[in-house]
Amino acid sequence: MIINVKDIKKSYTVGTQEVNALRGINLSVEKGEFISIMGPSGSGKTTLMNIIGCLDTPSSGEYELNGSLVSKLEDDELARIRNKEIGFVFQSFNLLAKNSVLENVMLPLKYAGFEKSEAVKKSNEVIDKVGLSDRLAHTPAELSGGQQQRVAIARALVNKPSIIFADEPTGNLDSKTGKEVMTIFKELNASGQTIILITHEESIANQSNRIITIKDGLIKSDNRGTHD
Amino acid sequence: MLVEESIKSAISSIKTNRVRSFLTALAIIIGTAAVIAVIGIGSSASKALEEDIDELGPRTLSIFPSQRKRGGVSSGFNPLVIKDAEALAKNTEHNWMIAPAMSGNRQVKYQNNNISGEINGYLPINFKVRGFDLGHGRLFTDKENLGRKKVVVLGSKVPGELKKSVKDILNQDILIAGTSYRVIGVLEEEGSTGWQNPDDDLYVPLLTASQRIFGTDRLGWINVGISNDTNVDYVMMTIEEILRQKHDIGPGGENDFRINDWSQFSDLRRQATGIFTALIAGIAGISLIVGGIGVMNIMLVSVTERTREIGLRKALGATHKSIMMQFIIEAVLLCVLGGLIGVFIGTSLLYLFATFNDWPFAMPISAIIGSITFSALVGLFFGIWPAKRAAQLDPAVSLRYE
Ligand SMILES: Nc1ncnc2c1ncn2[C@@H]1O[C@H](COP(=O)(O)OP(=O)(O)O)[C@@H](O)[C@H]1O
Ligand SMILES: [Mg+2]
Repeated sequence: MIINVKDIKKSYTVGTQEVNALRGINLSVEKGEFISIMGPSGSGKTTLMNIIGCLDTPSSGEYELNGSLVSKLEDDELARIRNKEIGFVFQSFNLLAKNSVLENVMLPLKYAGFEKSEAVKKSNEVIDKVGLSDRLAHTPAELSGGQQQRVAIARALVNKPSIIFADEPTGNLDSKTGKEVMTIFKELNASGQTIILITHEESIANQSNRIITIKDGLIKSDNRGTHD
Repeated sequence: MLVEESIKSAISSIKTNRVRSFLTALAIIIGTAAVIAVIGIGSSASKALEEDIDELGPRTLSIFPSQRKRGGVSSGFNPLVIKDAEALAKNTEHNWMIAPAMSGNRQVKYQNNNISGEINGYLPINFKVRGFDLGHGRLFTDKENLGRKKVVVLGSKVPGELKKSVKDILNQDILIAGTSYRVIGVLEEEGSTGWQNPDDDLYVPLLTASQRIFGTDRLGWINVGISNDTNVDYVMMTIEEILRQKHDIGPGGENDFRINDWSQFSDLRRQATGIFTALIAGIAGISLIVGGIGVMNIMLVSVTERTREIGLRKALGATHKSIMMQFIIEAVLLCVLGGLIGVFIGTSLLYLFATFNDWPFAMPISAIIGSITFSALVGLFFGIWPAKRAAQLDPAVSLRYE
């Protein structure tokens, strides 16, 4: 079991009003799973991803990642976990505009403290995996949306994380490039990579082997592997 | 590698906002330029002073007559006389050059031209002590002095004042107070030394001046030329001893002369220049601190603008420390770049100023290193707070920032 979440709650205070973004989530994820999280806008999907991605801490509840309790960790320990154990892919790609493909992919390795030569080698491997070896020196502006998202996937992969979180990764892409990106996720999962993917689209969710739907901060349904 | 990444990111951020970065660094640029120019001008000034002193040749002490008081009551004026100078010259213990002189204004006439000239009674050795060089003709000799010969050496501007070229006046007779003197030489231009203008003066043998022009053996002053490695205190003691004996001053009696050490005076001037320089440089340094506040302001703006980037970096594993480092390096780099431009401008200003004033160009390397280091410290100090703000941003919230 990679992830074990027990009764996670998250509330925000906006002015005088309390917003309960998560109202008691229980979830466990096994190694090698490919999970889709669905739900209407504002239902708490991103909040959940942030918490299990160690970007945020829950208001209450317990969270174990790879067997250790992380809900009470300090900032720098969380930073280390984000660096080594987790890879993020965002809807808006979030690449550094001034940096080349190679530099963008190398960034997590810099924070991990790798030597440059080794970082370049590791980065080249993952860039090759997403099929962008011929675009190493390009900046994001010189790439299509689909290519940019593939760079982001390479960046998420480069530190060999236990799990990849993708928050609506096809949300900014047309359906054709969206499909290409999904193909990459499926290939990664086929080689054992654990993936949690947030999406609006049924057709995307159907390509995973477990679909969780969230509404108003609670899990409504959790359906395992119907597709092949 | 993280440091390298921080520097790269800082350069890219500064480049992206070229104009803004420049305006932000402007106060740092101006501050550094001012500090550098002031320090440079100060050190060039004292170098110029030093060169002036070196040009004076060997170190010179001057003895002047002065009022003597006995029991608080002034007892009249005790002049320095030629015999005092002779007594000093007889001393062989010191390898000094005794150069007694007297001076006064007299009518100088050549053909139709009349001027009032400062006539100096000199020994030949006086020229050496003052470091005067001969331009044309010759200087008078000791023999001519002893013979009270009517010969005169002119300062370089005197022929012009008499509306004659050097060639026209050399070896001619001019009238000094109605008596004719043979012009045997003209000096090279010496330049004003601030309190004297040797180029406008005329020089005759001391005994000639004493007996034929001024009618007195009272001296205006005695210059004592000593080599630079002489023990000045000991020389002064010897002078005192000899003159007190000559003037019959008993134990406890006050001197009726005073001894000036010109180089001491220059030391004082140099010190004053130094203090003044430090003061102005300090004031200019304050503008660096004002610049630092501007840098802090822009860094805060930059942190806000890059909230999303900071969130992303944190998502990828950036720690508190690495985000701090990134922004501090950016602030320091901005200030150091400003400092470098400022040094360049300040040095150029100094160069212009020194060239214009005909001063030597002296820019202490320590001032350059010091002011760039100071700029870096300003960046460090004023970068800390914005960097801390960046590091403390909540990654989840930052990633939602539009
Ligand atoms: N930092 C925050 N402060 C206040 N409210 C927030 C914050 N982050 C999220 N929320 C609220 O929490 C709820 C869930 O948001 P989110 O997880 O982004 O939903 P989803 O990703 O499913 O669209 C929303 O009502 C949102 O407004
Ligand atoms: Mg969302």
